Amino acid sequence: MSQMRSEGSRRKQAKATLVEMCSVRLGEGMFAVPISHILEIVGSARPQPVPLAPSFVGGLVHYRGDVLTTVSMRYLLGMPPREGPQDILVLESAGGCFGLLVDSVCEVLTVSSEDYEPNPSILDERRRALFAGAYKLKDKLLVMLDPERLDPMRLGAAQAA
Amino acid sequence: MAMDELTREFLIESQEGLDRMERCLTELEERPKDANLIGEIFRAVHTIKGTTGFLGFTRLEKLAHAGENLLGLLREGKLTADRPIITGLLELLDGLRSILKSIEALDNEGAGEDAQLIGRLEVLQEPQQAKASAQSQVSVPALAIAAPTGKPRSRAKSSASARILPPPAISAPPPPAANAAEPAAAPAPPPFSEPEQVTVPPKSSASSTGTAVESTLRVDVTLLNRMMNLVGELVLTRNQVLQATAGDSNMTLLSRRLDMVTADLRESVMKARMQPVSNIFSKMPRIVRDLSQSLGRKVRLQLVGQETELDKSLLEAIKDPLTHAVRNSLDHGIEPPEVRAAAGKDPEGILQLRASHEGSHVVIEVSDDGAGIAVDKVRLKAIERGLITPERAAQLAERELLQLVFLPGFSTAAAVTNVSGRGVGMDVVRTNVEKIGGKVEIDSRTGKGTTLRLRIPLTLAIIPALIVRTVEQSFALPQGALSELVHIPPERAAKAIEWIEGAPLYRLRGKLLPLVFLDRLLMPGIQHRATTDRDNFIAVLNADGRQFGLVVDGLADPEEIVVKPLSMVLKSIGLYSGATVLGNADLALILDPGAIALRAGVTMNADDEAKHAEEGEIDTDQSANLEYLLVEMAGRQAAVPLKDVLRIEQVPFSRIEYIGYRPVLNFEGQLLPIEDAGGILTAAQGDPLNADSNLVVVVCREGNRQVGIAVSHVLDVAAGSDLFEAGSSQRAGGVTLLKQRVTGVVDLGGVEPLPVVETAAEEWVEAVR
Repeated sequence: MSQMRSEGSRRKQAKATLVEMCSVRLGEGMFAVPISHILEIVGSARPQPVPLAPSFVGGLVHYRGDVLTTVSMRYLLGMPPREGPQDILVLESAGGCFGLLVDSVCEVLTVSSEDYEPNPSILDERRRALFAGAYKLKDKLLVMLDPERLDPMRLGAAQAA
Repeated sequence: MAMDELTREFLIESQEGLDRMERCLTELEERPKDANLIGEIFRAVHTIKGTTGFLGFTRLEKLAHAGENLLGLLREGKLTADRPIITGLLELLDGLRSILKSIEALDNEGAGEDAQLIGRLEVLQEPQQAKASAQSQVSVPALAIAAPTGKPRSRAKSSASARILPPPAISAPPPPAANAAEPAAAPAPPPFSEPEQVTVPPKSSASSTGTAVESTLRVDVTLLNRMMNLVGELVLTRNQVLQATAGDSNMTLLSRRLDMVTADLRESVMKARMQPVSNIFSKMPRIVRDLSQSLGRKVRLQLVGQETELDKSLLEAIKDPLTHAVRNSLDHGIEPPEVRAAAGKDPEGILQLRASHEGSHVVIEVSDDGAGIAVDKVRLKAIERGLITPERAAQLAERELLQLVFLPGFSTAAAVTNVSGRGVGMDVVRTNVEKIGGKVEIDSRTGKGTTLRLRIPLTLAIIPALIVRTVEQSFALPQGALSELVHIPPERAAKAIEWIEGAPLYRLRGKLLPLVFLDRLLMPGIQHRATTDRDNFIAVLNADGRQFGLVVDGLADPEEIVVKPLSMVLKSIGLYSGATVLGNADLALILDPGAIALRAGVTMNADDEAKHAEEGEIDTDQSANLEYLLVEMAGRQAAVPLKDVLRIEQVPFSRIEYIGYRPVLNFEGQLLPIEDAGGILTAAQGDPLNADSNLVVVVCREGNRQVGIAVSHVLDVAAGSDLFEAGSSQRAGGVTLLKQRVTGVVDLGGVEPLPVVETAAEEWVEAVR
């Protein structure tokens, strides 16, 4: 059904491919991560803060017998921290698993590669490093997040540099 | 890869046999006449030969066959296991191993050629026989030469064994050719040998090893690993169940049972993974033998505590570091025999491997009695390499300087080896050991030897920990580092915690303990609650010889925690060694005491050592003065220096006599003046009931006389420490700090001497009357 709603499907062409995206909300903004990168979604978690950790670290959560480091998307976007439980996308990247803390996880959307646009040039450098372009939806823009760029190891290295 | 069950079984069995053979061979060198050892080696090779024929590994069969012939002669006593033979047998061992390895990897024997080795083994069967027959004429002295080393000890033994030897030597000439040509006959008693020789290879050891095999089962290690992980999860779940049902009386019995079963299960699984360190120790004799031969060293290897058990994965992990350490000891530690002799040492060096339990750790020590490490050179080298500043180096104690050899970059250059005699790849040793949560330290005395100490945790997965709370969060503190806990309530905090220029200190039994506030360490730059507004708990921690107190806000229960690894980002913070899930499902970070000490700048007790050294120079008596006998005198505590105390006597009050006003004790004809500083005697004098009760007299030495001190009770022996006058920093006389209390020291010198005989003899006699 989300397929029907998606703008991409209406103007479908032969070579356009469809991608399923999990959309998440952070404050007023909508962002999305390709579901192929998502291992699991953990709802209303309260991560345990880690003193002295780099500020992008949102804390630790217990995930399937392991301890998962989370990245605070709010911090990366320069938004104030939020009280209360948050949702976590468990993502897989080259460096292993990590959790992405978002305000809430919304629906899964199917978008067409036709509607994709790379990062606009006027975007500031910090955001450009985080975003992987955007999909034009009917009523709004869906900003893409790239799990590889959000990997805590990579963020840590970037921060050190 | 596909390998049939039979071949796999054969490989495992053969490898075990060869491991046994290796152990026996090195022992055989010590005791060339030990028929048990020869029998064991023979069986290992014979089993391989027997099974290979069946499986069709012809190359292996040929080689084993050649070895078996030689061993057969040894077993019959026709040959003596001298050095060339043992070297040959070790070559055989290596040859068999390499073929087995090839079978394991490629499922075939490989294309190697063993003709040379087989030829060597055949040669070994002959010349000694000629030699042996020659020796039979020369008799005993020549046999002593055949013993591997010319140590006095082994010479005594070989001459003893020589008495057994002559019969085979005489009977040797006839059978050899027949025996070599007809190998299948080897295991069977050869026709020519005398009956008593047939009884020499005993079957007793075979039957004893046989029974052990029947009750054991081989289990795949990956299965054990999985079981261990599952048990870890079970422990977590148990903790949660225990906490959830704590209030429910119906569940108490069930949860207690769950608790017990889980604990037992955990222990059993852990035990299943345990292996004795002899598994890796047994590789060492060979390494030592080969190295000492190629380096021209004489070394006696001592293995102590071989039965100590360690988790299999840990055992694997320390194999390389241990081998490295042994190599180092031989290469750079133990000097060549002539150098040792010149230094007045036994030309034969001693290398000891010792394993023992110490709390939740296994300690493995590699110690040699070699040249040791020259600390000065380590210091120079470290400064030269820019690993440490000259100022810092000057502050470090010797022991701390030695640890510099573990720094990466210290050891890379060959020049260091020549200079310091140690340090090749020590950083690799440390990295390997620390990877498994262990610690390495090194102790060395120039000219006396070096000891490398590896501290290995018993198991990786589960550790006992104390849960502490600070900044509204739980942290786990490994119990291994924790020595005691001190509670300081808010009202006492202002007094108990002292400050020197912003550095908090606590007087722990008179010694200043540096304090680290966990909240300040973890959240710098935030206003923290004052110590007087809250309870303060000091966890006294010992990490790498550093002692300090970690101040936390609260304590929770001790728990057995399952260690979960942290991601790289969090590991690089450096203060946490992992994380764990607590019984209440909270996460807790596991604190690393060593890292906290480093971060907070707590050094290894360098100050202490420096202080001791200083005191030692000024007054050698001072350190002996530290122990005191704590006594009570009429309700008041006092201290008597323990070194002056000769004995403690109990005497009835009635035995105390007086010279004028002075109380004395007639003790076996000698008069002992009694010091009654506490007024005990005075009080007792007025009370007739006391006449039958006992007085405790501490008899002390004062200069060249003896004095007695009357006390009510003897309380304890404790270490005292000096008190210093505020402001002047001068040592206060007559008092000491004992068990946190300022205690007066009895002034023995102040006890008035008894009147001297010449001048006062009459007066004294009168007074006694």
